[in-house]
Amino acid sequence: MNTLITSLARLLIFPGLLFAVPAAWFFLWVERKAVARMQGRIGPPFMQPFFDFIKLLGKTTPERGGVAGMLMRAWPLIAVSSAAGAVGLLPVLPASGGFQGDLILLLALLEMPSMCIIAAGFSSRSIFGEIGSAREAVLSVSYNIVFLLAILSIAASQHTFSLSALAQLPSSPLRWLGILALLICLPAKLHLNPFSLPNAEQEIYSGPMVEYAGPELAMWELSHGLEWVAATGLVATLIAPQVTLVWLAILIFIAISFAIVLLLSVTAAATARLQIDTTVRFYWQCTLIFAVLAVAAVLFMRYVA
Amino acid sequence: MNILTMLWTNLWGGSRTMRFPLRPDVTEHYRGLVTFDPALCSGCAICKMRCTAKAIEFKTGKGEFTWSYEPGQCTFCGRCVEGCKDHALSQESACPPIYLTVGELKKSYTVARKPPAPRPVAVAQPVVPAPTAEPAIGGRQ
Repeated sequence: MNTLITSLARLLIFPGLLFAVPAAWFFLWVERKAVARMQGRIGPPFMQPFFDFIKLLGKTTPERGGVAGMLMRAWPLIAVSSAAGAVGLLPVLPASGGFQGDLILLLALLEMPSMCIIAAGFSSRSIFGEIGSAREAVLSVSYNIVFLLAILSIAASQHTFSLSALAQLPSSPLRWLGILALLICLPAKLHLNPFSLPNAEQEIYSGPMVEYAGPELAMWELSHGLEWVAATGLVATLIAPQVTLVWLAILIFIAISFAIVLLLSVTAAATARLQIDTTVRFYWQCTLIFAVLAVAAVLFMRYVA
Repeated sequence: MNILTMLWTNLWGGSRTMRFPLRPDVTEHYRGLVTFDPALCSGCAICKMRCTAKAIEFKTGKGEFTWSYEPGQCTFCGRCVEGCKDHALSQESACPPIYLTVGELKKSYTVARKPPAPRPVAVAQPVVPAPTAEPAIGGRQ
């Protein structure tokens, strides 16, 4: 019974929906504001992501019949629930439970919004949507190998697939190597420059989002924000030192996530969008070698040393 | 590394954009709203013909004409001002005001036609002697 209540509290209160939704809007604002300030613009006001969400909820959407219409309405909802579930799994609080293999579930849930974006672009039957989906699919294949290998190297170095166990164990140099690989993958996962290919506004009019409006677009925005919280939160839980005080653990988690958001914003502001072949080459040639080396080193240390 | 320096400078250098309803300063030869001086206008309607955006309307009545200007349609190209031989039109050097309803800034003037200027009285011309066949001495051909 206690496990059920704890799980529900994690999913619905902290770090779940009650925390994650405002945090998603806050991170979206931080990213937009930081990029704007670095480009010499004033940027949006603090409440702008919330206002955007409310405004989009109040709009009507065009009628779409048939299975394609039903699917188009379903994809953003699946993306939001997956991203919210991923945030709920993060072991932010000390002794917050968790189970063996929750890391694999978290990775699957983190990947769901990306899959939904691919499906949404093809469901929309728009040429821009289809191009965006194809780009997202290629990008996903490229960065996910590095992302998964990085997570695998961390998990193998600590002999566990439980997130809370991973977070509690002391860090090692190899773990930092994995964290670095994860950080390299984050801009691609969050569609930020220089890997903002699937949602390139100037080229393909936001790609898979081009046919979306109103509450469905609001859900996509929310899902994107939740992805921010989940992805930065995953790295933050791996970096954060273990403390017994609950409020201090929350504070450290938020501070590290905030720092990662700022780092990603600087990267986005300092770079221009790369071409798809350059992006694929970057992940397959440069970082894949890096990730494979990390896994090989971990396995070598585990079985030989 | 240059880009990072640039970003750092921008971060602390203030923003070049501003939040509504603040407006940026205008440049020296800024072309703002068209202003009309009914006292100078002769009602030739050249401005209406030169306005490609159809922002200027001109209606003639009995002994008067109505000149209207809709800034919502104006492209501020300045062709009307350029073509006004009476110098009755000019352009403000300030940003147009913010308005919320369509046609809020529209202006209309009904001007009485000026009576035609009196013709100059014909003066008797002195008779000029017909030129001779031979040029005068020292004169030039």
